[in-house]
Amino acid sequence: MKLIDRYVAEVGKRLPLVKGRKDIENELRSTLEDMLEDRANKAGRSADEAMEMELLKEYGAPQKVAETYNPNPYLIGPRIFPFFMFILKIVLAAITLGLTIATGIQIATQSPMSAVELFSAIGKGILNILSACMAAFGNIALVFALIERFAPAADFKMDEEKEWDPASLMKEPKPQDVKAWEAILSIVLTFIALSIFNFNPHLIGIYYLDEGGWNALPVLSEAFFRWLPLMNIGWIAEIVLNGMLLRTGRWDVGTRLVSVGIKAFQIVIIVLLLAGSSILAITPESLAAIGITDMEAAQKLSGMAHQGIRVVLGLAIFGTVVDIIKSLYKLVTQRNLESA
Amino acid sequence: MANTESLENVVLELRRGVIVLAALSQLGTEQYGYSLLKQLSDLGLEVDQGTLYPLLRRLEAQGLLESVWKLEESRPRRYYVISAEGKKLLPKLKKEWAGIVSVMDRMLA
Repeated sequence: MKLIDRYVAEVGKRLPLVKGRKDIENELRSTLEDMLEDRANKAGRSADEAMEMELLKEYGAPQKVAETYNPNPYLIGPRIFPFFMFILKIVLAAITLGLTIATGIQIATQSPMSAVELFSAIGKGILNILSACMAAFGNIALVFALIERFAPAADFKMDEEKEWDPASLMKEPKPQDVKAWEAILSIVLTFIALSIFNFNPHLIGIYYLDEGGWNALPVLSEAFFRWLPLMNIGWIAEIVLNGMLLRTGRWDVGTRLVSVGIKAFQIVIIVLLLAGSSILAITPESLAAIGITDMEAAQKLSGMAHQGIRVVLGLAIFGTVVDIIKSLYKLVTQRNLESA
Repeated sequence: MANTESLENVVLELRRGVIVLAALSQLGTEQYGYSLLKQLSDLGLEVDQGTLYPLLRRLEAQGLLESVWKLEESRPRRYYVISAEGKKLLPKLKKEWAGIVSVMDRMLA
């Protein structure tokens, strides 16, 4: 019986971490002994090593046998796989779009470039997108694998498993309805921005600790604050608009047009911020104050920060343009619905 | 070749669907895994041991079977028998099966 014992031990080593592993091993040993005895009886002789080997070969590789006892053989099972795919598509699309725009802006702001430099920049951009997508895929898969492993099915019901009422199909879609939480959140955040930029601009900075305690290195330059009055107009208009939306509870043609106007105004401000001198006050000298004394490193960091803020502003323009298109689309569809 | 593979897969799926009912129907009296495997085989249903043993454990975890270790012929064996809950479920499964057979008979006639 030596071979059977070894075989059972091999299976045992590969069994998933489920309750009763010892029990599975005992049952497997007992079964194999029964099968061997059966074969010996049929052959009319006592069991030998060759018979044992033949039996074990037929029973299968220990790894395969152990796998049959795995109650959950999936990394991400069918229960949460559709949700995994949904999240993955959104994240990968966002990464690809964001990094493509960033690469485009980077190339545009570094011109004139030689053809070799241009191809090199495009190549680097593609590699960046690929590596960012792979990292995102890995992280998302890890999170979902952990959910699969540790969240019991009963505690993690997906939307599709909840009771669905076909009557929900009868409800007319109301794109003009205002989501109260969105309006409130927008008002709160705009107030915070107004108060910080106008009354506490010293709070916006790189914080560092020295002998005198915490200090902040200002990051925004005069070029930024020059346009603050215009930004205030945009923010106040945003607060007024959201207040109106909260009162009426619905979007109408007037509020949609005001919203488009505010966004267009915001784009003008961002373009002004992009066109003038840098809105960042970070210089190699100012970085020396926070302990980055290596001039070359400070210059690199400062250059990256100035470049980075231009990318951020470029993305902000893109996002606002998308918002305007969405608003205009809703305006047109709403007018069609109302005239129908 | 592809046809043979497809046929094998479909047959496997069909069998997999009936093993639960087959096992529950034969465990009115207690049996250990290998004796159940042989009984099913004698009755014409060949079941892979790699399918049957994990299935028995799963049915026990679901409360449809009960099991107990017994020492026989100097060998410990785990005996399975249908539980009270399994007994309640079995007639319903039989009725369901009869319905499926009747529908399929009509379809395939």
